[in-house]
Amino acid sequence: MKNKFMVSLLVLLVAFQWPFVRTEARQIDYKSPEFRAVASQFACTCGCGQDHFECDPNTCNLTKEFKKDLVGMMNKGMNKDQIRDYYVKIYGEEILTAPEKSGFSLAAWILPFAALAAAAVGIYFIIRKWVRQKGETEHSAEDVDNGDEVEGEILSSIIDEERKKYL
Amino acid sequence: MYLFANATIYIGLAIAIYSLLIMTLGISTKNQKLVNSGKGGALALFICAGLAMLSLFYLLGTSQFKYEYVRDYTSSELPVIYKLTALWAGNAGSLLLWTFFLTLYMIMIIYSRKMKGNPMIPYIISILMANAIFFFFILGFVAKPFLLLDQIPTEGKGLNPMLQNPGMIIHPVTLYLGYVGLSVPFAFAMAALIMKNMDDFWIKMTRRWTIIAWLFLSLGNIFGGQWAYVELGWGGYWAWDPVENASFMPWLTATAFLHSVMIQERKNMLKVWNISLIIISYALTLFGTFLVRSGVLTSVHAFANSNLGLYFLIFMGFAVIASLYVLMSRYNLIKRSAGEFTSFVSKESSFLINNLLLVGAAFAVFWGTIFPLVSEAVRGTKVTVGTPFFNKVEAPILLSMMFVMAVCPLLAWQRSTIKNLKKNFLLPAIVAVIAMILMVVLGMTKAWAVIGYGVIALLLVTHFLEFYRGVKARRKMTKENPMLALYHLMVKNRRRYGGYLVHLGIACITMGIIGSQNYDAQTMKTIELGKSIEINNYRINYDKLDQKKEGINDIVYAQVTVFRDGKRLGTYEPEKVFYGHWDQPSSEVAILSSFKEDLYIVLSAWEDDGRATFIVKVNPMMSWLWIGSFMIVIGSLFAVWNGRYQNVTPKYTGVRREVI
Repeated sequence: MKNKFMVSLLVLLVAFQWPFVRTEARQIDYKSPEFRAVASQFACTCGCGQDHFECDPNTCNLTKEFKKDLVGMMNKGMNKDQIRDYYVKIYGEEILTAPEKSGFSLAAWILPFAALAAAAVGIYFIIRKWVRQKGETEHSAEDVDNGDEVEGEILSSIIDEERKKYL
Repeated sequence: MYLFANATIYIGLAIAIYSLLIMTLGISTKNQKLVNSGKGGALALFICAGLAMLSLFYLLGTSQFKYEYVRDYTSSELPVIYKLTALWAGNAGSLLLWTFFLTLYMIMIIYSRKMKGNPMIPYIISILMANAIFFFFILGFVAKPFLLLDQIPTEGKGLNPMLQNPGMIIHPVTLYLGYVGLSVPFAFAMAALIMKNMDDFWIKMTRRWTIIAWLFLSLGNIFGGQWAYVELGWGGYWAWDPVENASFMPWLTATAFLHSVMIQERKNMLKVWNISLIIISYALTLFGTFLVRSGVLTSVHAFANSNLGLYFLIFMGFAVIASLYVLMSRYNLIKRSAGEFTSFVSKESSFLINNLLLVGAAFAVFWGTIFPLVSEAVRGTKVTVGTPFFNKVEAPILLSMMFVMAVCPLLAWQRSTIKNLKKNFLLPAIVAVIAMILMVVLGMTKAWAVIGYGVIALLLVTHFLEFYRGVKARRKMTKENPMLALYHLMVKNRRRYGGYLVHLGIACITMGIIGSQNYDAQTMKTIELGKSIEINNYRINYDKLDQKKEGINDIVYAQVTVFRDGKRLGTYEPEKVFYGHWDQPSSEVAILSSFKEDLYIVLSAWEDDGRATFIVKVNPMMSWLWIGSFMIVIGSLFAVWNGRYQNVTPKYTGVRREVI
């Protein structure tokens, strides 16, 4: 019975230690692209204004622990979305470095482009209006403009002469 | 000293109020004597602000810790230069600097040769004087620079070590010159509206002043970025912090104005829009100040939270409402001279698109900056809007802006025909496409980077063609040698070619941003003495760890030898500095810079057994950021420099006799 208990205890210990054993086995460079993809999603709240990828673990204890936790989760096989969901559930959206692309926060992403598109449409109609106005004035002045070609040549030669004076 | 220093502020406030009243009375009664008295008041105000500055410099330089401001931002061991520059380390001092620049600009306008005999002066000075009253009021009653402490401390708290850097000496000064500078075009615009005098002169002068403000704003941002890069040990240069956004927004809208004003000059159109842009740019400088000094948003730029922001908000509200009232009351007058467009495809249209994108980019920054407040107000949930948001939203807008910048110079005014487009764009388009194909062949796989560099290639070719064709046309007429022709071409049209130099500078900056954001490599490793770190083609040998003392500061440094492709580049010493008067240590990074990339080494931590942790980064094309910044300065100065031709601004002849 005692042996059985010891074996069970050993199995349990191994089972619980397994993630930590793997953590030790796999070193993740805090500056690797892999870690950046995960850590840059989260804002550090130490007052540095940086995310958990940028914040230096040697000067900030908060990010030191946070980074360790992230590595632990990465070693458990969690991807960046799962890790994000995990933290958002605990701390809310505030922990993210950018608003979520759903719910009210979607407005943060959409509004700039919606405003740009609306303004672009407005500008299109304004230019169209101005071009039409010009067209109408040109149309009425067309007869006058169909003047003598020789006159035009004389005019351009005078302009050329004048330009030379300023060069 | 206490009495004298405080007297400069309160007498200044009294003079500012007097000058505004007497100037307004002079304008309304057309009494030149009263206006002259107001001008004298402006000079006296400048002297007051100057004396207040000198007083604070003196108190800081002589470490008079009985003054709260001196105690809060200096210590006796601080080098004199940093004792003096601590003037703009806190709220009160930086607002004093702001006020001084405001009065300086006033004096420059009053005594400017170009403005001599101009009836706009009393109006412009009155508007700036209203600003001065606000700032002197703030200095006198809200953020007092000359406050005495009850007990005299033996030592000061010291200056934040992060601010003890040459970049930090000049960054706030240039930024404030830019901020205050934007109130000058605002005053010009309001004066022109009030006088119902929307002629060519005011727009040319306004544009000139806007370029000056824009240049300083650019410099402020550039020096800020450069400081962050070398001083913070983070390897970045722009963090989309609310303070940075606050200075970027007016930069964008001022850039939009500098372009759309060309349509007004050429076609007498967009007057309402241009004035709106000036008002927005001015209001954004106040809004930014409100944001960062009120504490409503968290910023790494540690300004103390105070009710100061509220005063700025009230003043901004007053300024915007008053200016909108003036604009609306003159709406029919400025609307009357609306012109027409000849075609959809023309330089005019491209300027409109340019404005759309620049103002759109400013709006996106604005929206992102205030979204945490919006989110909290609407649903009670705080959100953080940081770098990933701004990078994703701004990248496509600013890249489109680069594209417009690339094609605009070759579009004709009035109308670009198919033939014209083909002639102008075939070669640049082919070069850009070949460049993009080459990039892909050489292994660049990131779509944004390839597109970005493709657009830059297009921009470089179109701008080269502009210079080439200009020189060619000139040589045809004058038979000058190419260099002389280029020189004459540029000095005869300073604004245009100065503008192109700025475009090329922006292209270089974009090259740096795309390179450093997309192709950086970094690692963080703890190694033993004698071991090395390898990154890309670099090897960094860790040779020595030691410490030294500099004044009251302790410095721990590592000695490393850097090799590239096996070739020794030299020995470098990244440091960690522990300050006698500051809790937080700071990193002095080792940077090896080249046109291709920067190697950036940070000593992060160390153990008793000699092991040390380094953060090593390779930041590609960083030098291009600084080269581009330099070109922006050269281009802007070239554009506003008068030269011997005096052809930029016409002498004002005036439409009617007024007080001047």
